[in-house]
Amino acid sequence: MNEFALGFSVAALFTGVTVTLLVTLGASLVAIALGLAVGLIRVSRLAPLRWMAVAYIEFFRGTSMLVQLYWWFFVLPIFGLVMTPWTVAIVGVGMNVSGYGAELVRAAIQSVDRGQYEASIALNFSRSTMMRRIVLPQAIRGMLPPWGNLLIELLKGTSLIFFITITELTTAAKLAADATGNYLLFFAIALFGYYLIARALITPLVRWLERRFSRGFVREVPA
Amino acid sequence: MSDPMVRFEKVTKRYGALTVLDQLNLDIARNEKVAIIGPSGSGKTTVLRMLMTLERINGGVIWVDGEPLTHMEKNGQLVPANERHLRRVRGKIGMVFQHFNLFPHMTALANCMEAPKSVLGLPKAEAEARAAELLEMVGLSDKKNHYPIQMSGGQKQRVAIARALAMRPKVMLFDEVTSALDPELVGEVLNVIRKLGTEHDLTMLIVTHQMGFAKEFSDRVCFFYDGKIAEQGPPDKLFNDPANERTRQFLSAVLEAG
Repeated sequence: MNEFALGFSVAALFTGVTVTLLVTLGASLVAIALGLAVGLIRVSRLAPLRWMAVAYIEFFRGTSMLVQLYWWFFVLPIFGLVMTPWTVAIVGVGMNVSGYGAELVRAAIQSVDRGQYEASIALNFSRSTMMRRIVLPQAIRGMLPPWGNLLIELLKGTSLIFFITITELTTAAKLAADATGNYLLFFAIALFGYYLIARALITPLVRWLERRFSRGFVREVPA
Repeated sequence: MSDPMVRFEKVTKRYGALTVLDQLNLDIARNEKVAIIGPSGSGKTTVLRMLMTLERINGGVIWVDGEPLTHMEKNGQLVPANERHLRRVRGKIGMVFQHFNLFPHMTALANCMEAPKSVLGLPKAEAEARAAELLEMVGLSDKKNHYPIQMSGGQKQRVAIARALAMRPKVMLFDEVTSALDPELVGEVLNVIRKLGTEHDLTMLIVTHQMGFAKEFSDRVCFFYDGKIAEQGPPDKLFNDPANERTRQFLSAVLEAG
């Protein structure tokens, strides 16, 4: 392994990790925001709104993420909508994952005990107040573990943005391996790289949120 | 009876082909305490759930405090109520449930403050003062910062009563509120209800299996059977000298069970 190839490899990996982190962060925010919004619309009392949410979920969950990225990147410009690779990566990956996220949100909302809805009606809450103050705080607790899964999936899914010209972690590892010939080392780095990002960032965040939203669900000495 | 607090007028409730309540007529006077008894499936809980608007009715009209609840007037005619009308009239009614239905993510105090704050728009300090006062009335001042999971069933049910009262309802509905409690905790909840009955101007409807309590507490007992009121009257008369064969059978079965 010569020094030039090594220097190139280290620089590529550093960039790759940074890109993967930033796209994961951006796409996660998009996925969470849209997943919550579409999930809430999915349980709306107005049927046309529900149908729109179903169509959204069916499209983003039911078609290939890579093909969706190709559409954003190569097809939409035909209709005059040109976006940078970064925008496509963050919005494209985020929207794809939000389709799954919306279903998690719906499942969690529907798993809140019926008695909670009945008590809310008896106390004369408006529907929006009931959702905001009573249902969602309880639903969030139930949806956190599956959201953790989904965001880890999202992290690993970001390797597809290679196909829209972005050099992220997997691509960088491949470049480094090609340049040095050391496939064992660099693909081992890529393998553990994803694991470390998931384990060091996503899992602790989800666990912290779980603890926060578990107040009242586990016995503890009152403050 | 003139100007009842609650009036059921030919109210019918069906689930599919099953008629749970058939053309129910029932007037409840202001401040009257009515106990509703009867075998399971007789429609007694449905009466409370319809009045709380948790169930839609299939026929008839329910009136509360002189105005229609399930309907509203439009061009001199009664049409099914919209959400806005429901919310306005429903505000006069409070309900306590068999399974408490406290908000698990909130302390006892927060449970009692939430609706006054976000529905009535009370300032936080005022909502807190009201909640604290009511928790004191139900004997739970020392538990106000506890979460429901940290309380016994009897304590939870007393918080639920305080929570309903915090909305200052004119009518209180109690749906088998002691049925989910361990026997030794029933008394503390019934004591709170007794106290409410004597110290507050409240119209109360109580669905219960506690015959002793119904007898001692209520002004009138309604015995439901098969979607109808089979017999009603003052508790002394109904318990000691029931006119209806069904009432007799039910009472002897219940009293035998203990």
